Amino acid sequence: MFTVIRSKEAVLQALASTVNRDPTASDYRFQDDPYLTPKTSSEFKLFSLSQESGRNAAKYFISTYPKYFQKDYAQPHIPCLMPETLEAQIEEVSEAALIERIQMRKVKAAVDLYDQLQQAGTPVSLDVTNQLLDLICFYGDCDPAQENVPEQRNEETEDVQDEPQTKKGRASKASDKLKAAWKENNNAERIFALLSEPNTHSYSALIRGMVKYGAYSKAFSTYTDLLNNQLKADVSTFNALITAAPEVKEKYNEKWELIVDLLKQMAEQKVKPNLLTLNAVLKALRRCGTVGKSQAFPVISEMRALSIDPSLASYNHLLSIFYKPGAPFQGQTDILQEVMNEVSGKSFTPQDPDDAQFFITAVRICLDTKDIEQAYRVHELLGVGENWRLLGNDFQQNIYHARFFSLLCMMENIDVVLKWYRDLVPSVYYPSSNVMRDLLQALDTDNRLDLIPQIWKDLKQLGHGNRQTLVEELLTLMAREKQNQEVQETFAECALDIKKMYDTGDRGKVMMSWTAGSLSDLVSVLLAAQRRQDAWEILKLFKTHNRVPSEELLDKFLTCIKESGDVNQALELVQISAGFCLPGTPKLIQRVQQEFLLSEQQKSMLSDLEIQTFNSD
Amino acid sequence: MAASVTRPALSSLCKINSNINGIYSLTSFSRRISISSVLSTSAVTTETEAAGRGVRGQRRSKRQAGEPRTERMTVDQDWTAVYPTAASFKPSAVPLPVRMGYPVKRGVPPAKKGNLELIKIPNFLHLTPVAIKKHCEALKQFCTEWPSALDSDEKCVKHFPIQVQSKEFVSAGLSLRNPDVRIVTLKVKLSSLNLDDHARKKMIKLSEERYCKDTDTLTITTDSCPLRQQNYDYAMYLLTVLYHESWKTEAWEQEKTRADMEEYEWEDSPSQKKVLDTLLRMRALGAKDEVEEGTREELLGQPAVQEYRDTMLRLKNEGETEENLQQYKEAVKKLFNI
Repeated sequence: MFTVIRSKEAVLQALASTVNRDPTASDYRFQDDPYLTPKTSSEFKLFSLSQESGRNAAKYFISTYPKYFQKDYAQPHIPCLMPETLEAQIEEVSEAALIERIQMRKVKAAVDLYDQLQQAGTPVSLDVTNQLLDLICFYGDCDPAQENVPEQRNEETEDVQDEPQTKKGRASKASDKLKAAWKENNNAERIFALLSEPNTHSYSALIRGMVKYGAYSKAFSTYTDLLNNQLKADVSTFNALITAAPEVKEKYNEKWELIVDLLKQMAEQKVKPNLLTLNAVLKALRRCGTVGKSQAFPVISEMRALSIDPSLASYNHLLSIFYKPGAPFQGQTDILQEVMNEVSGKSFTPQDPDDAQFFITAVRICLDTKDIEQAYRVHELLGVGENWRLLGNDFQQNIYHARFFSLLCMMENIDVVLKWYRDLVPSVYYPSSNVMRDLLQALDTDNRLDLIPQIWKDLKQLGHGNRQTLVEELLTLMAREKQNQEVQETFAECALDIKKMYDTGDRGKVMMSWTAGSLSDLVSVLLAAQRRQDAWEILKLFKTHNRVPSEELLDKFLTCIKESGDVNQALELVQISAGFCLPGTPKLIQRVQQEFLLSEQQKSMLSDLEIQTFNSD
Repeated sequence: MAASVTRPALSSLCKINSNINGIYSLTSFSRRISISSVLSTSAVTTETEAAGRGVRGQRRSKRQAGEPRTERMTVDQDWTAVYPTAASFKPSAVPLPVRMGYPVKRGVPPAKKGNLELIKIPNFLHLTPVAIKKHCEALKQFCTEWPSALDSDEKCVKHFPIQVQSKEFVSAGLSLRNPDVRIVTLKVKLSSLNLDDHARKKMIKLSEERYCKDTDTLTITTDSCPLRQQNYDYAMYLLTVLYHESWKTEAWEQEKTRADMEEYEWEDSPSQKKVLDTLLRMRALGAKDEVEEGTREELLGQPAVQEYRDTMLRLKNEGETEENLQQYKEAVKKLFNI
């Protein structure tokens, strides 16, 4: 009577596969409301971090006061929502207590308990000791930071700007984690020494810990100890040693020979290599210069013969071997194409931590080699199956989209660029001011300057409305040529809006300062739209901000005034020019005298001015 | 600074005004001066405050809402991506100019922005025909083939006379369970069961309001057990018990009176007796009283009497309609040779 369903979520997954991405919606984490969605990249970061910190704070409270949160409302039971015990339950000195502390990742407590057990004389089994060694070596002999403690305060909410800055941010995070270097005679080594018969697992734990925390030569000496004790190493030990190989030797050849030596020993000890071995070898080859280039492909084919399929991390290392950032490329563009031929259409699962670097590296190479075809293929790969998970965190996603979009602006015509712009911004990607400048250049190249007011609106929303260089470039582009009437009107509105950004400095924000160039551009735009009154106001700003207008500007203004025939304004203009002691004042005066109908008083005033300027010369 | 200047002026004015106007004007004058002194000092403070504001950034301007995303939606967008699941009405995500609410005092129904009435009601924006088509396509992989022999409704009813219905519920809340999921409804047509007349009548009597005369369907709804499987078994058990009980004849069923009968029977009814009486009386004018069984049968066998019987049955069983009454009138007329 009842049909059998494959798994509990199969129906839901099938229905979920019918849903695509909505190009106007922002990230699913946020509330779908125009007031509550983030509009700039700093807001995005702030909102997502605040969500996370709220969740952490809630978990902290639940775990610190578990007696208030015992009632279970959820049917069926959801274990991760119940309070978790932070403190170890078993108090007595026994092996079970040690196991419990190891599972709760309490490094120091576990080590203390082990010492107590040793002193009490109870023998601890080899398995448990191996687990303890694993724990110590993984965390480098210090307690891991508790997850519930709100530690997000260190994050600064700054805009994601250019790449050098972002790379610095990444490097600092990595170094934070590895601050603890492998200390001499630390607990791991001590406990290891106490073991009467260390087995493969113990050696493996120790070697891997040493490699992780930078004690490379020690790792190799421990390995020789292992060989002397006639033990076999396992595959993870070999992986760790291969990772450490480039650190121990200096020359490329020596590095490669060491790696080959290790692989031969692996074959002798009949240890089967796995995917991580391949990735370790390729990563090491990155540091081997030209040797790496020649050996990379043979390595991959050998591993394929052992039925180890390369993952995205292997392809990432391969690309990095051949395309060094900053180096010139000669005839290597086909490697990217070959790699893309291999991976297109496949859905990858995360198998290696470096998998997340693939997309960024690939799109960087496309940007450097200006290869738009491959970039499209890379982007297509992102849409296949579960590959979207391998794009990395928000930070890396931002880098990926920035590079992709810059490439598009450079290579494609404006319609395609705008299509991608509407698709990606701002639902997936908040562009930085550099990328927006690239977009402006693309508009300029394809002669679609009429879209500038729209772009300005987007710029204001993205929070780039107060960047001086960007705004000045906008004004220059608008003032350069005369457009048709409607476009000129929109330009004038946009220009007045820009002026507002200069004036109001609310919130103590960085206020932009007027330059002569930006002011003259603004005036020209307004004049071209026949808005003489507004332009007159702006002209007065020259004096207040101590900037000098150019002669062409004043000439243009005079022509405009002539069309309306306002003599007083013309005279004021001449006075302004004289006030700035511009060398072109006499010409202006001449023009006014010729082109305008002046009264006696005005004529005399003009002649006075003329004399004045002659005298000042 | 301003106040100190006014003070000697005030003292001099005191002497002038006190002779003319009295204290009232003096106080008003002093009040005016005091106000001006307050104003001047406040002007000084606002200057310092403004400078401080620029430096410290105390007063923040209100955050502006962005434009709703309906502005950026294209006409040919994928609506199933905007509303993939049941969600409340979001005015910034639905590009329709709907209005809802009571128009107050010659106004119009309020617009969609911030309209609680639109949020309260359930909407089916997630179940457009396109969405349903997509869902059906995706769910086809879980379905088995329909048996090709069952290609018409009649065949389905013939081979599977019992219909069992139960509901599934999906909701996201504190609990995934819904107590209504245990309810089982069993429907069967009595014509498909093997019942004779007595059994059918007894079954209908036993099932009371569960039997629907128009569709000849017996509906058994069970929800007394906590699990659906148990309720299903209970419903099948009830059906079996009803069937077997209706075939059995109990001793006390012989005491069935005329009032218990489901439909009107003409035999042994007061109407039959009256007709017989009347006919005999009519006859008795001619022959002497010979009330025998034979005459009775003979009388009853007459076509007029049969017709009268038919119309009587029709009237009582089917109710009074124009047609029935007409036929009754005709039958009575024939009976009495009018």
